[in-house]
Amino acid sequence: MDRSAIKARMCRLLKLPEARVPDDARLTDIVPDSFMLVETFIELQEEFSLRLTQQDLMGVQTVGELLQLFQDRLRPAAQPVAR
Amino acid sequence: MSQAMSDNELWVLSFYRTSEISGSLFFGRLARSMRPGPLQRDMTKHFADESQHAWYWTRCIETMGGRAHKMADAYQDQYFEAAGMPVNYMEVLAITHVFERRVINQYAQHLSVPGGHPAVKQTLKTIMKDEKWHIQWVRDALLEMEGEYGKDHVRATLERFQKADQEVYRKTMKEQEERANDLFRRQAERL
Repeated sequence: MDRSAIKARMCRLLKLPEARVPDDARLTDIVPDSFMLVETFIELQEEFSLRLTQQDLMGVQTVGELLQLFQDRLRPAAQPVAR
Repeated sequence: MSQAMSDNELWVLSFYRTSEISGSLFFGRLARSMRPGPLQRDMTKHFADESQHAWYWTRCIETMGGRAHKMADAYQDQYFEAAGMPVNYMEVLAITHVFERRVINQYAQHLSVPGGHPAVKQTLKTIMKDEKWHIQWVRDALLEMEGEYGKDHVRATLERFQKADQEVYRKTMKEQEERANDLFRRQAERL
């Protein structure tokens, strides 16, 4: 999954221009309240058919870290090499 | 404001009102992002109920001759601080289950204090009927989710939020002890 597609969806949800959402921005600085942050996490999971838990998001503080988590989870499993 | 209503009583009722508004807004936003189905159906009713409860409290306060305070924080805000944010529907429902039980206990405790204003008693009774349904549908939905998330994981999540609830309640009660004691003393004196 393309990282920029995840970011674009996140910015649409938050109604923020992508230029104003650098990877090192803290999520709590760009999202006005914690309820909206919960909503954002859930909407992104719905959008990309992912299931994350509180444990998965522990330590995720910046936009870049969140994008990385989604990207890692959406990466297709490596295919075995044909012999 | 009528003499029957103290500042502390107005504060407590305004606090209930703010918590109902916050709950309604939160569930309303979540319901909007859900796929149509039973979960969305029940969450839609849930947020409509909470919104109506806020209206009941506003009406109750006005019946008593007061005007609701605008309050910065709701009880729910402290939950995320203590328990961390829920990040999926199961975690949202788990925290909701714990929270709704706390609300109904708080309302029952308030109702049990003798000498309360009839408008407050009626409002508490009306809201508590809805709260019982809230607990029931959330519990049923969590049972349903055990298949997807695993029974042990659902239970562990509930336990984690219960611990956080106890912490938040202790903290809140400490902050509100003076107001609550004053309110309950005044009510007893009215008898």
